Amino acid sequence: MHNSGLSTNQIMRQVIYALVLGVSASYVFFGWGIIIQILLGTAAALIIEALFVALRGRSVLESISDGSAVLTAVLLAISIPSIAPWWIVVMGVAFAIIFGKQLYGGLGNNPFNPAMLGYAFLLVSYPLQMTTWPVDFLSFSQAVDEVFNLLNFDAVSGATRLDSVKTSLSLGNDIATLQVHSTSQAWINIGFLVGGVYLLARKIIFWHIPVAVLSGILAMALLIAMFDSQPHLPVQNHLILGGTMLGAFFIATDPVSASTTPKGRLIYGFLIGVLIVVIRTYGGYPDGIAFAVLLMNMTVPLIDHYTQPKVFGRP
Amino acid sequence: MSDYAFSGGVVIKNPYPVEQVKIIQAPLPNRVVLPLQQRIGDEAKPCVKVGDRVLTGQVIAQTQDQFCVPIHASISGTVVDISQQIIPHKSGLKANCISIESDGQDEWIKTQGCGNDFLQCDRQTMIDYVQRSGIVGLGGAGFPSHTKLNKAVDCHTLIINGTECEPGVMCDDALMQHHPREVIRGVEVLLHITGAKKAIIAIENDKQEAYQSLLMFNHNDRISLAQLPAKYTSGAEKLLIRALLGIEIPSGGFAADKGVLCQNVSSTKAIFDAVIDQRPLVSRIVTITGDALTPVNVEVRLGTSFEQVIGLTDVNNQAHDYRMGGMMMGVDIVDTNMPICKITNCIFVNNKKTQQPAKECIRCGACNTVCPIGLLPQQIYWHAKGENIEKCMDYHLLDCIECACCSYVCPSHIDLVNYFSFAKALHHKQVADQHKIDVARDRFEFREYRLERNKQERAQMMADKKQALKEKMAKDKAQGQVQKDKIAQAMARVNKKKDKNA
Repeated sequence: MHNSGLSTNQIMRQVIYALVLGVSASYVFFGWGIIIQILLGTAAALIIEALFVALRGRSVLESISDGSAVLTAVLLAISIPSIAPWWIVVMGVAFAIIFGKQLYGGLGNNPFNPAMLGYAFLLVSYPLQMTTWPVDFLSFSQAVDEVFNLLNFDAVSGATRLDSVKTSLSLGNDIATLQVHSTSQAWINIGFLVGGVYLLARKIIFWHIPVAVLSGILAMALLIAMFDSQPHLPVQNHLILGGTMLGAFFIATDPVSASTTPKGRLIYGFLIGVLIVVIRTYGGYPDGIAFAVLLMNMTVPLIDHYTQPKVFGRP
Repeated sequence: MSDYAFSGGVVIKNPYPVEQVKIIQAPLPNRVVLPLQQRIGDEAKPCVKVGDRVLTGQVIAQTQDQFCVPIHASISGTVVDISQQIIPHKSGLKANCISIESDGQDEWIKTQGCGNDFLQCDRQTMIDYVQRSGIVGLGGAGFPSHTKLNKAVDCHTLIINGTECEPGVMCDDALMQHHPREVIRGVEVLLHITGAKKAIIAIENDKQEAYQSLLMFNHNDRISLAQLPAKYTSGAEKLLIRALLGIEIPSGGFAADKGVLCQNVSSTKAIFDAVIDQRPLVSRIVTITGDALTPVNVEVRLGTSFEQVIGLTDVNNQAHDYRMGGMMMGVDIVDTNMPICKITNCIFVNNKKTQQPAKECIRCGACNTVCPIGLLPQQIYWHAKGENIEKCMDYHLLDCIECACCSYVCPSHIDLVNYFSFAKALHHKQVADQHKIDVARDRFEFREYRLERNKQERAQMMADKKQALKEKMAKDKAQGQVQKDKIAQAMARVNKKKDKNA
């Protein structure tokens, strides 16, 4: 059989290329940390994947070359703080690949998004390391020091904007006095947004999920703004803070663990958006993308079953 | 007139385009092999013996099955063999075939049809001619035309399928370009047989020459031509009907139920030959294409071997991959020593390539966007792989037309259609097994019931007998009593008399 479009390997590679802009934005504001994390994660992913595939008696080269392990590692490395110690990303990637993918039978058989499973594992196990972000540009050597804990150089670090706003609000501060805006995060989000649009243009992802996630976020944020008298993060800031664009275009769109029917993708994405805002606003964690995606992964078989498209010749 | 839209399907450019679509007349073959098994129905029974001389067009095998057509000799010569031979089938199976060795005369049997004033003939006579001439759907499905015609009562629209959407195949295109008169006349014959008010000839818009030539010969205002976008699966019968008429044939239903009859253009021409002259179908146009040769159309006698037909082209000397039928719906074959059948529309000869190995499905959904039926191939694949047929049926496995659009776009190179035909076969086997089980259970239950009934009947009989005996005994006893009473009375009378006398 002849073939028209991209192969699975090419799709994975294209997704990785599409991440470049967002990663560059992160580099511009926070320095070398993210690059080191990506390299570390990728190396760990390749070794662990090779080891496990070999243990399962499958072709190592074929599995490594499909690019899915690298993509998982890159997504996870982007999601975690760029100054997290080296073992954070290694453990996260190991968990993602072993428990998120290989134990289910490898690529295509995993019910959960592996990167987000790794992220959730790290967040509940190492909350401190997972919420300490750099606030300034770090040079290569500074970043290496931080990640490998070589010298006692302590970078100026702090919580993310989402986290600090939330903490301040819970302490009773007035929303008007808080800085709810973050230029660096806005630029990073724009970077991922452009990458996502590239994926849409290349027809690598369908429009349904990103559009539904973003509208879910907007709808829920508006609802909260209208009916909850407590002060919360302004609606528009939900879109440019945290990992919104990365989540909407790169994480929720993981085809393996997402709903696969057109109608189902809309429901799946919309509810992820709703859950993101609910977790951000009322939950105990600063950002809710990982949990929102994992929760919705569980509902996929149900959604798929009830959203089958109309079949020709049937009512 | 190019606003007919199809949902799903894929646009595939002809991979082996030609400048001019020509038909080459193949020389008479030395030997033909004619399979007795047709697409559906029983195997035909030979009515000739080894050593018999047969004429071209002579019936050599027949069946009583109403779905079948007789089999005709495609050359004149001697029957040399009736035995098992490889036939063009997915599984490469062998079946009974009649082999005829040519005498080079090509002497035809005398036949007579309705002639040019077919309007005088009645419907049934014409359908009989169609059956006797061995006409089946030449588009690839091989469904007998007379069955379709018999079914087409209350037919309002006739659709002549000249879309030929399979990329690379051009035998219908060639036919429309070179025999437009016969095609148009064939449509008129079909209009007469079915009583339909109008006929639409559907052609893809990349076949302008065919369109123009038909347009030039069409002087009948009941016949119109429609140009469809060149998109694969536009030629699937039900999809074509929806695109042209907006009628959706229900799942499991037939076009005839909605008053529509669909015929392939090549079949239409064959029907014309059958009705006018009662000329049996003994040859067909076959496209030989692929990257190992210059694509051509060859008109060949049925039963000619693939090898011989391929030999007529400028095929190169490398190792080849062969495929019969279309690029999408055809099947790969290894042996080229098998005969051309009525349904052999195309043979692909490609230079040998290494197949790309299949990877895991990542549920990207490319397949469900191209499925013309609106199925979710990735879901059916998942369940077919696990042999969970019940789940496959939930996803409407049987509505799949096996067009292979999903396999074509799959980024993981999974041959999805193969899984679906496997799952369908498994389903049919399960149904057959279930039927056997049901029959066996019914038989067993009936036996149990019968034994029980016999037992009861026997008990009833015994009881009745006992009762009768009892009654008889009681009766006897009662009778005995009466007798005794009578005796006693008599004795009493005697005694009385004695007393009196004394």
